[in-house]
Amino acid sequence: MAEKSLPKVNKIDRPYWEGAAAGKLLLQKCKECGKLQFFPRAACVGCFSGDLEWVTASGKGKLHSFTWVRVPRNPAFKEEVPICYANIILDEGVIMESRIVGKDLQTVKTGAKVKVVFQETADPGIKLPVFELSG
Amino acid sequence: MRRKKVCFVGYGSTEYSRKSEEPLLWYYAEAMRRALDQTGLKKSDIQGFSITTQASPDYSPHVAEQLGLELDWVLNGDYGGAGGVTSVRRAADAIEAGHIDVAVLVGGNSFDKSVVHQRPLEYQRANYVDVYGYGGPNSLMALIQRLHMEQFGTTLEQIGKIAIAQRENAQQNPQALLREPMSLEDYLNSRMISDPIRLFDCVMPCSGAECVVLASEEKAKRITDKLVYLVTDAEKVQYQVGNMLPDKTTFGIKVVAERLFSEVRREQIDFFELYDDYPIAVLIQIEDLGYCKKGVGGKFVETHDLSYKGDFPVNTGGGQLSVGQAGLAGGYLHIVEALRQLRGEAGPRQVKKAERALITGIGWLSYGRNLGTTAGLIMERRK
Repeated sequence: MAEKSLPKVNKIDRPYWEGAAAGKLLLQKCKECGKLQFFPRAACVGCFSGDLEWVTASGKGKLHSFTWVRVPRNPAFKEEVPICYANIILDEGVIMESRIVGKDLQTVKTGAKVKVVFQETADPGIKLPVFELSG
Repeated sequence: MRRKKVCFVGYGSTEYSRKSEEPLLWYYAEAMRRALDQTGLKKSDIQGFSITTQASPDYSPHVAEQLGLELDWVLNGDYGGAGGVTSVRRAADAIEAGHIDVAVLVGGNSFDKSVVHQRPLEYQRANYVDVYGYGGPNSLMALIQRLHMEQFGTTLEQIGKIAIAQRENAQQNPQALLREPMSLEDYLNSRMISDPIRLFDCVMPCSGAECVVLASEEKAKRITDKLVYLVTDAEKVQYQVGNMLPDKTTFGIKVVAERLFSEVRREQIDFFELYDDYPIAVLIQIEDLGYCKKGVGGKFVETHDLSYKGDFPVNTGGGQLSVGQAGLAGGYLHIVEALRQLRGEAGPRQVKKAERALITGIGWLSYGRNLGTTAGLIMERRK
């Protein structure tokens, strides 16, 4: 049977996943030019500096775009369809890909306010940042 | 940049199949044999060789060993859907530099179960996308299509018109796997895959291969009197990557277009072979190429005839949407169709005035933005 995939945590994004497990949404910030970025990388996508720190995001944002997934790439997600897969723009001005969870999602619209919550996975050490409508 | 002395001298296509389990190597060999037959070249004339595939063990030197090719230049042209156009660019560089006179470029796919087809997910997709249960490229393009519809008022009817026009073209193309007529109702009622992307927005995976032969002008003149020149070409990789608030409805094709049209005027293009993984991607490319303003693509397709008989012919053989997508042969399908048209070999779907064509390739949907690779080229028939 197919299993839901889990992130393969590596040296670069370990702090991100540790943060998520502790209920914090972390972004990388460049110490040279101040740019915030997601997803985690080995270099600043602005100035290429390797001097990056982690900052805690507010976890608030708005729904930029979304799709109702009827045919997930990984069959392990079949029972959860339709899945609301989304682009979220965090209040910090960074785009993320994630999933919208919660009740009464049928009426979800772009522009809706959302906030991060952390979803348990099969691995007790890994929690996934997902988003809920925050009204 | 303008190319001076690089020509397309021939092509070869296999039949496409939904079921065939012929090995990928058979498909490569068949497409190449047809191209060699057309050009009169022998295997020993092949100096440069490129493979574009998602089947991971098939690096070009391995394929060369299998097929008995002794070479002076090899390339793995795997840049997603842009792999065809970018491989042509690399080969043209090698020809202009004088390293080789003849390059054979092949792309293909098969359902041969002994070959590993799944490219390992790149790092960002594995950790930040796949874990959420997304629906592959269908979902990533759906995010883009929703934005285009909401921001610009683009309608499903307008997007569907592209799929329908390509199907009309495919009816004149025996290679196409999907030839039955498609109505707007068929399009709108097709099964929802990843809202608003429907089944008839998606390409059908299949087996097959496409081959293109490039040569120096000097060599080309000895091969054929149907001379098709590579006029100019450009690419943009990871457009907007440094922008954390990217414009998702503008592709790197915008930058590619600026470069192409610094050499050739927009109105000099007779027909278009635009990479069609989805109809919305064709619509956005028409905008990015500058044939209308951003956001007006829906109106543009509504008011133009996109068929091979039309005033703005696009994907004259039916494109991947109707022919089928034989993996990364999809990036060559458009080049080969352009060659058929420019050489006057397109049969019942021949575009009347076919002297100059614009071909694009786009691939690798990227995190939060749109496309990782975008490329384009212009080719021209000269008497």
